[in-house]
Amino acid sequence: MKTFLFCVLVLLAILIGAYLFRVLQGPTIFDRLLGHNGISTKAIILLIVMGVYFERVDMFIDISIGYALLNLVGALAVAKYLEQKGLP
Amino acid sequence: MDILFIIFIVAGLFFLIVAAIGVVRLPDVFSRSHAISLADSLGAFFLLVGIALHEGLGKNMLKILMVLALLYILNPVIAHATLRAALRSGLKPWQKETP
Amino acid sequence: MALFVFWIFLSASFEWTHLGLGLIFSFAVAWVNSGHSPFVPKFRLWLRILLYLPWLFYKIIQSSLNLSRLILHPALPITPQLISVESKLRHHAAVVLFGNSLTLTPGTITAEVDRNNLIVHSMDKNDDVAIKQIETKIAEIFKDEDPDL
Repeated sequence: MKTFLFCVLVLLAILIGAYLFRVLQGPTIFDRLLGHNGISTKAIILLIVMGVYFERVDMFIDISIGYALLNLVGALAVAKYLEQKGLP
Repeated sequence: MDILFIIFIVAGLFFLIVAAIGVVRLPDVFSRSHAISLADSLGAFFLLVGIALHEGLGKNMLKILMVLALLYILNPVIAHATLRAALRSGLKPWQKETP
Repeated sequence: MALFVFWIFLSASFEWTHLGLGLIFSFAVAWVNSGHSPFVPKFRLWLRILLYLPWLFYKIIQSSLNLSRLILHPALPITPQLISVESKLRHHAAVVLFGNSLTLTPGTITAEVDRNNLIVHSMDKNDDVAIKQIETKIAEIFKDEDPDL
């Protein structure tokens, strides 16, 4: 069981690498914003799986709720700003 | 119980991998956002429901389902805001070249 | 009130100090934000929306299997396009629910909303059939509400 969860963790980290490629290499700035959104969703899932792995789910879930709310505020602020400003 | 847990997690991982391939492969912003919405809706659903089944009934299961509801409410908002910003700043969607 | 239930879910402890703090903060936040949302749905409407959710989930599974087939196909046979949908919904909450479920379904994303004209970016040629289905479902939910749009 521990081994299976560890494999899931490693696979999620590799997937974050794929999104990081899109963030670093995106042609426009909206690609980078979408990549950031995808990375934070993966980070929420990663935190919960990590909680199951260390058997401390009750602590990690609170962190992931806070992370989801922070992700919403940050992404909305950047999107609103770019909407006013236009394509740089 | 463990078999069900493993099946759910493998299904979620399958959708997450497909979404990552889509993010790398697809040609422009508008189609990449489809891939991200795929990852958010089904991959996160299967993974979190699998973990909630593993936790069993109780406080933790309730909290995991609340994270899931939060993801389902917040992610369309973010995708819509990003796409509206992209559309208003005059970005044209990618079209297949007609020979 | 709903915020107080939410606080109990989050803290999950039943001591008197926690309950008192939660009561104070939830009513303070509700008082600061009052006068902000004019639409509070009735009980029958909540029931219909809850019955609508499993059908929406069935549509999500169907269209996401379609989208993963498109992505994993080696020739990438996608035809992205912008569709302008003029919906017949005459209600603020109905339009909000329509746009949100369109964005939640993989393959279609709402890009712009102006009263009841929506600009939808879709991924496949025959996605407008699914858009019509979702629209008729939502019109059925909101069929006996007063129009306010």
